[in-house]
Amino acid sequence: MIWAQLLTTVVMFGSVYAVLTLALNLQYARGGMINFGMVAYFAAGAYAYAIVTQAPPEGLDQYLFGFAAPWWAGFLAAGLASLAFAVLTGWPTLRLRGEYLALTTFAFAEVFHSVLLNERRIGNGSVGLSNVERPDVAWTGLDDTIVYAVAALTMMLATAYVFNRILASPYGRVLDAIREDELAAQTVGKKITRIRFEVFLISAIPVGFAGALYAMITTLVSPTLYTAEVTFTVWIALVLGGERTIVGAVLGTMALIFIQESLRVYPFETVRAAQIAASAEEILTGAIFIVMLRWQPFEKLMKKGRPS
Amino acid sequence: MASGGTMTLFAQFLVAGVATGCFLILATIGFSLTRRVEGFLNIAHAQLIGVSAFTTWAVNVLLGWHILAAAAIGIVFTALVGLAIGRLVYEPIRHHGPAVMLISSVGVTYVIGGIVDAAVGTGIRTFDIPLATSYEFFGVRITDYQAMVMALAALSGVSMALFLNKTKIGLAVRAMAANPELAASRGIDVRRTSMATWLLASGLAGLAGVMLGVVATLSTDIAFRQILQVLAVAILAGLGSLYSVILSGLIVGIAMDVSVLWIPAGYRPLIAFALVIVVLLFRPEGLAGRKSS
Repeated sequence: MIWAQLLTTVVMFGSVYAVLTLALNLQYARGGMINFGMVAYFAAGAYAYAIVTQAPPEGLDQYLFGFAAPWWAGFLAAGLASLAFAVLTGWPTLRLRGEYLALTTFAFAEVFHSVLLNERRIGNGSVGLSNVERPDVAWTGLDDTIVYAVAALTMMLATAYVFNRILASPYGRVLDAIREDELAAQTVGKKITRIRFEVFLISAIPVGFAGALYAMITTLVSPTLYTAEVTFTVWIALVLGGERTIVGAVLGTMALIFIQESLRVYPFETVRAAQIAASAEEILTGAIFIVMLRWQPFEKLMKKGRPS
Repeated sequence: MASGGTMTLFAQFLVAGVATGCFLILATIGFSLTRRVEGFLNIAHAQLIGVSAFTTWAVNVLLGWHILAAAAIGIVFTALVGLAIGRLVYEPIRHHGPAVMLISSVGVTYVIGGIVDAAVGTGIRTFDIPLATSYEFFGVRITDYQAMVMALAALSGVSMALFLNKTKIGLAVRAMAANPELAASRGIDVRRTSMATWLLASGLAGLAGVMLGVVATLSTDIAFRQILQVLAVAILAGLGSLYSVILSGLIVGIAMDVSVLWIPAGYRPLIAFALVIVVLLFRPEGLAGRKSS
């Protein structure tokens, strides 16, 4: 029973995170852009969903807006919010290269986090928004968790399908060309900054949707859920799965979430023991990361399998 | 006289800002040195600040040693940890390029953070040292510990400048930073220079960690909060020279502390990053103006 529960949790959170990993795969492994602020687009989606669907403020609420709209309106708003944030952050930064882009996206994410934390009029500041609206799924006759796991899985597969279509198209080949040799691509008339900007926007939309779904699952939206740790988790998942393949990105995320969740299943007697387990999880995650980057085993496997 | 009161308050925040800036200089010089010589952004640098602070705390409070002895042990230990990580983790992946090294340093951040968490646990720690004494000049207060941070930052700045300009190994470090291939072909011992850089950069992080423990209380999430500000200072400095780090450290420190006059204190870290974003948008090469290599 505990294994069935673990499996559902892994599929549910793994799929949500895998959408982020897929977006990162498109941006970094295919587009050569280092985005260290993935969490901001995720948070933008989650907050947009919560704000559009929640009831107008009353009593102790400090937030200003609540539109009590149906869930699908919130869901669409989440994609739009993430897209809008990508326009806002991508437009000025995408001419920066490599590490500067990494630092600026990181900076944008930290500023966004700080605003959410301090500005009570958006989402009650550090308290966050609780009892976030979730669509009624009783009609399926199934457990809520299973329905949401299936929904997350569907969203991930849809994202993977769309991204795969993009990458397999001539557009995808232009992207590869830009990553491999920017100058050569430019010489044959490809508008590099524009194409990178487009990829940045395309990849942000599903991240916003994933944010909305995550808000439905947790029914809570608060700044503590959207820290730089989310960004790093997604990076670790991408590295774990081996770069540049959609299957790799998905498997890497699932494996990472599985490791993390199975360490959490074990019941701890004392606070101290739980704390040490949390630290062990952190150390293990970091160590896997370092080892994967150093030896890149999946990269080698792929090269072997591919006729040269 | 209302304006006189405002001026004093402003001066008070200015002094606090200079002290913050001096701490940031101590914390960033090593980071910037690593960036120049090893060629990548070492996100894990701030974790070394935590390692030093908690090592010093353990020797000082748990073993009951004098703070100076504890600080010396903390700094030396941190320098050695930094050297070991440099040799074991970063050296073998140098050929993968700066992006992979940058991402790997996130992994190192996790490992060090996890070890510190496991060893120290939650809670607020302080060094076993006398309370700060505060002195007043023209209505502006300054504590002896704030003055010490300023003095140490000045001392570190001057000794770094002398080291890089006057000593043989310092010149080798600069040569490596400017052009590694050329440096190697001109007979500079790359391995030794790289080791010296790791020791020096990590030792400076160690010194910053001790200072942090002196002026503030310690909790295990402290390292992560520092990296944000260190990054801000380093980008503002254009990832460049020692002098631009000193200038940007002061700018970021003063901007953060003086902003408290007008903006809620919760936004203090945001000021540092707002500065970074503005600078990167208008001067992607940083304040120093030199095109970064």
